[in-house]
Amino acid sequence: MAVKIGDWLDERLAWRQVWTVIFLRKIPKVNWLFTLGSASLFLAVNQIVTGILLTIYYVPTPDHAYDSVQYITTQVPAGWLIRGLHHWGASAMVVVVFLHMLRIIFHGAYKYPREVTWLTGVILLLVTIGFGFTGYLLPWDQKAYWATIVGTRIAGTPPVIGDWILLVIRGGEELSAVTLARFFGVHIWVLPTVLLIITLVHLYLVIRIGISAVPGRED
Amino acid sequence: MEKEEQITRKSFLGLAIWSIGGLISLGMGIPAIAYIIGPALNRTQAQEWIRLGPTSKIELNTPTLYKFTIQRKTGWIINEEEVSVYVLTGNGRDFIAMSNICTHLGCRVRWISDQEIFFCPCHNGVFDKEGVVVSGPPPRPLDRYELKVEADQLFILGG
Repeated sequence: MAVKIGDWLDERLAWRQVWTVIFLRKIPKVNWLFTLGSASLFLAVNQIVTGILLTIYYVPTPDHAYDSVQYITTQVPAGWLIRGLHHWGASAMVVVVFLHMLRIIFHGAYKYPREVTWLTGVILLLVTIGFGFTGYLLPWDQKAYWATIVGTRIAGTPPVIGDWILLVIRGGEELSAVTLARFFGVHIWVLPTVLLIITLVHLYLVIRIGISAVPGRED
Repeated sequence: MEKEEQITRKSFLGLAIWSIGGLISLGMGIPAIAYIIGPALNRTQAQEWIRLGPTSKIELNTPTLYKFTIQRKTGWIINEEEVSVYVLTGNGRDFIAMSNICTHLGCRVRWISDQEIFFCPCHNGVFDKEGVVVSGPPPRPLDRYELKVEADQLFILGG
């Protein structure tokens, strides 16, 4: 039965060909370090799923943010788990994406013909850091507040345009409801959109060009 | 059993990947469902006797409006909520207390004294002074509260 449905769909969608291209493609002999990209993707999916679930209860205003997070953590069934996965997954993702980048550097895998893959990867690293920075404010506790005071001040250090950057990031002179709302908007709409599009380009290139082998003595 | 089912390295790894993937999906899916529906299953707090006010306020044969506020906890917010109850008595000794919530779709009904009806503005539901449906879509009479009188004070069971 399942085979029949599979055949019926395959005749119309050619999904087996797609499957083969994505999952059964030929790769050189590699080692465990080559799983860091897949690990990043896994963590990204974890962040998306748990993040969507968190928005069901989270409210991004100064008078509700902290209480709604406490509500999720202490009152909602499995809320501690969903939030915990999002919290620790976030840290893990920054670490794993960074290690993924180091592997590419040490193997020289960014060279021709993979420059664009590397470039999109750099964007993805920046997006990941952006996620970390904007997400850190959302619980609206002391740590979040002061970390963002400091973080936005750092963003304001460049000469000439620094003050302007600080104002735009905070949405005003002070860290306020405006800041929280825009961090939330960037965290759940802007960055996910960029992440999704750039990840698709990144994966397309990985599949299209193929991955590089472990460099040997001659390389 | 001539031909043993051969488990190759490839088929084993394939099975392992699908199994682990399935376990992760279950481990995520079941908590996710509990997380989404959990708060919806929280029953409201226990009922208690609420004092409406003195019986002397009430007129004979016409529903009299009593209002009181209750504290209701929804999610992480505690709200003061105003509740209205119509009390009717024919003889000053036997009382009925009716909810002002229309039994059709939950709008609030109001007493229109010159026509002697409860009227719901949402879909023109009409009830008589005892809460019995006169016309319109409501499927059943207005809900009634359990009521008691103690020292000339009206109490209803609610919450």
